[in-house]
Parts: sequence; C-alpha cells; structure tokens
Amino acid sequence: MRSDIATESAGTALPSLPSARPAKAAGKPSRWLSWRKKVLPPSIAFVVFVGGWELFCRLADIKPYLLPKPSDIVRAASENASNLWTSVYTTITEAVLGFLLSILLGVGMAIVLAASKLVERSVYPYAIILQTIPIVAVAPIIVIWFGAGINAIVIIAFLIGFFPMLSNTLIGLNSTDHNMKNLFYLYNASPLQTMFRLRLPAALPYIVAGLKISCTLAVIGAIVGEYIAGIGGGQGGLGYAITVAASRLKTAYLFACGFSASLLGIAFFLLVNAFSKWMLSSWHESEMNSHEG
Amino acid sequence: MEAMANVKERVRMERLSKVYPNGTVAVQDVNLSIREGEFLSFVGPSGCGKSTIFKMITGLSGATGGKLEVMGTSPKQARKQSDTAFVFQDHTLLPWSSVLDNVALPLALRGVSRQERTREAERAIELVGLKEHARSMPRQLSGGMKMRASIARALVSRPKLLLMDEPFGALDEITRQTLQLELLDIWSRDREMTVLFVTHNVFEAVFLSTRIAVMTPRPGKVASLIDVPVPFPRDDSFRSAPEFGRIVRSVSDALKH
Repeated sequence: MRSDIATESAGTALPSLPSARPAKAAGKPSRWLSWRKKVLPPSIAFVVFVGGWELFCRLADIKPYLLPKPSDIVRAASENASNLWTSVYTTITEAVLGFLLSILLGVGMAIVLAASKLVERSVYPYAIILQTIPIVAVAPIIVIWFGAGINAIVIIAFLIGFFPMLSNTLIGLNSTDHNMKNLFYLYNASPLQTMFRLRLPAALPYIVAGLKISCTLAVIGAIVGEYIAGIGGGQGGLGYAITVAASRLKTAYLFACGFSASLLGIAFFLLVNAFSKWMLSSWHESEMNSHEG
Repeated sequence: MEAMANVKERVRMERLSKVYPNGTVAVQDVNLSIREGEFLSFVGPSGCGKSTIFKMITGLSGATGGKLEVMGTSPKQARKQSDTAFVFQDHTLLPWSSVLDNVALPLALRGVSRQERTREAERAIELVGLKEHARSMPRQLSGGMKMRASIARALVSRPKLLLMDEPFGALDEITRQTLQLELLDIWSRDREMTVLFVTHNVFEAVFLSTRIAVMTPRPGKVASLIDVPVPFPRDDSFRSAPEFGRIVRSVSDALKH
C-alpha cells in the first residue's frame, strides 16, 4: 500500500527537491525518470531564455542601464556579494519575524473568534475592513508610531500576512465535520478539548493553505516596509538596496536584488510546502501524492 | 423466565413525542421499557422516527412531549455518567490519530491516565480483532475495519448501554454479516450490556436482537414489539432456520401497517 503512494504525480507547479519527496520513493530508475520528466523541461527552457536574452542584448547593443545582460547581473551580484548578502539577510529576518507574528496572532485570533459566534459576528467584519485598507496607506502611520527601522518593517510584514492566516484558520475551524462534533459532545468533551483535539487539527489543511499564502506575502511586506521605513547604511534590506540602486541607475544590481527577492519568496514557499507535506502526509488527501481511491 | 422486578430498567419511554418546529411529527406516543441485557432493535423505513428516538436517548435532541428516562435519569445526566457509548453509521474516526489513539479517545477526554487508557484501548482493539492494526492510521483500513475500530472506541469505556445507529448501513453484505457475528460474540462476553440498535434491515434486526420495535412513519410510532425467542449463541445457521423466516415475516407484516 505504501509503495504506490510514492508514485509520482504533478504535486505542485514548482519542481520539488528530491530530498523533499517521501523517503519511501520507488526504486532508482523510476525516480531518475520522474526527475528527468519534471526537471529537464524547465531547465532547458531556462537555458534557452537566458541564452536568448544574453544574445539579444549583445547583438542589439542595448545599453546596460536599460536592460543589463544576464552576465552583467551575475557580475553585479558577485562584485557586491557581501552587500547583497547583508540585504538578503536583513530581509529574511524581517520577513520571518513578520510571518511568525502573523501565524501566532492569525491562528490565535481565529481560535478566539471560532470559540464564540458572538465575538466572531461582532469582530470579523472589522477584520475584513482592516484588510481592505492598502498597506502603503497604513505604513506611514506605523512608521510614525514605531519609528523607522526593523520594528515598523516587521509590523508591516505581519499586517500583510495576518489576514490570510486569520480567515483561512477561521474557515477551517468552522468547517469541522458535524458527526465528529456530535461525537465529542456525546463523550462530554469540554469546549477547550473540542477546540484543541478536534477543531484545530481538523483545520490544519486550511491553516497550511494560509501559511502558503502568507509566507510569500511576508517577503513582499518586508520589502515594501523597507521602501517606506527602511534604514540606510550597512543594515538596509533588499527594499532599501533596490531604492538606492534605482536612484543611481545601477540597473544590473537592481536586477540582482529583484531576483534575490524572488528566490527568497520561492525558498520560503518550498520550506512551508515541505512542512505541509510533513504535517499532513499521513492523513490528508491534499498531501498524499497518490492516485489510489 | 426471570422475575421482571429484579431486572434493572435501562431506558423508559412514556408517551414520548417529538414535534419539530415546522410541525412535522417525528415521534408520537411511544411507550417502551428496555431492560438490562436486552438487545433491542428499532427497525423501520426512513422517516419512521427511529433516528429521532436515538437522538433523544443520546440527549442530542430534546423530547417535546412525554417522558424519557435513561439509566434511571435524564438523557443528559446519563451521558455525564459515562455509562453510555455510541456507534454511528459514519465511523467518525479522527484521521490524524492512530487506531489506538482513536479508540482511547473517550478515556482521554475523561482525563484517564495514558497508561490506563492504552491498556483499555488495547483490550477493546483485541475484542474487535484489530490487534495488528493498532498503530495504523484510519485511512489505511478498509470500511469494515474502520467500523470495528469505531466499535472498539465504544467498548473502551465498558458501557452499560451501547447505542448503535445503523452502524453497518454503509458496509457490503458480506462484511455486514461478519460484523453481526462479531458483535454478538462481543455482547455474549458481557450480557449485562444493553444494546439499542437502529436499522432499516429486517434480517439484521432479527438476527441480532432479543426484541424488535417495529416502527411505522407519519407519524413515527412503534407499531408492534416482537420478541425473538431464539437462544444465544446464534451463528450463521440461524439465518436459514425456519424460525428465522417466521420472525422475518411477522416483522415485515408489522411494517406494512
């Protein structure tokens, strides 16, 4: 039974790392085959695209400050490697802190709202309204309150990821199977027991869906925060580096920062995806990776 | 025949009625006394109120008329004493917990120590023949095995009253008959346990029960009470005995009213 669980299916659009796959994968030949099927086509497309870009820039003699060649971007990144790494590191710290805060407060508040219909009805509409206020409008206020720097940036990263966590968790907590709830009721479970032994675990697939949305949003939030509340000098994150590179027309470095930011987002997503597999693979359909039944 | 006075009454219904807010009369004037050690089946078509009676006994739904006593007290109070256990058509196993943890759940909710609830859960799992699957996850089990786990969960608290609402309704005929035999085998080890069994299957009701309450719909009533005076242990040969056919016919006749 376990072995056909490992048969490959197109799980996500992103190529998953081989180590992220279940350890009980089938024998080597089929693994190599699926690896080739999944990884080879996008790799070839990547090489063709980058090669075409490089060739186009060289042949058409495009100015590097308008569109830098891929080789220019790589050179700009390696020449400023330590600066770039500091920026990336700063942004990672801010995004992770903001993300953790949005998980903690998002799930926590969802539990409070789900525990009482009255609280949910009175508070949830305002949570939705809060969500519709654009983050760039809120950001300056946050800077006024908390001052420019990491505090404000973390709060902005948190705010942008908070609502998806809250709404997903809340939907999950409210969609517990009716028969299961009856069962807990009949066995005299306390509301707390029902919450933590039934509703929260049953909401896990929804929470994980929220995590997947919020983790990439947190990176965006951190960079947006750095635009508005970024601190200069050696401590600036990617958002700050981007504004500086743009104002000085260092387009190649700008591209390098942009790619670093998107790589960061992908890395975040893959981590959350691996976590989701680890949490759900033993019981939930979404992560079973099989075609049986 | 034993003296009736000495036998404890487990469930008592007096003119029990249930009218839904929209005016539907689900149950009307049901009088029934269920004694300790009985295996009583409610049998009838859908809409005859058998599930409504079940819900009232569990306390999930209140009566709108008449009187209902469970274990000598109100249904809600009876449930708090933890002498009652439940099995539904849906196995309601937690998909993220192993069979062992699922079976131990009623004890865990009551705060029984891990050591004791593991011991009791292992006993119940052995009773239903799932010993090899104690560490399995529910999704790895077949439909029949899931139902066995669900029954083990009910037995883990050594209930005095076992309430079963169409437990085998979703199973195929072969699995259903196997589980019927196993259920009788389990019951034979604890004949003081009272079983209330809801089903729409006449053969199932006759095979399992000591007494059958035949219900008819619109409004839901007990049309007749039929004894099944066949001694236990019963095995598959009972299904083809002339006695079996005779009782099935009388139940079917009662259903036609």
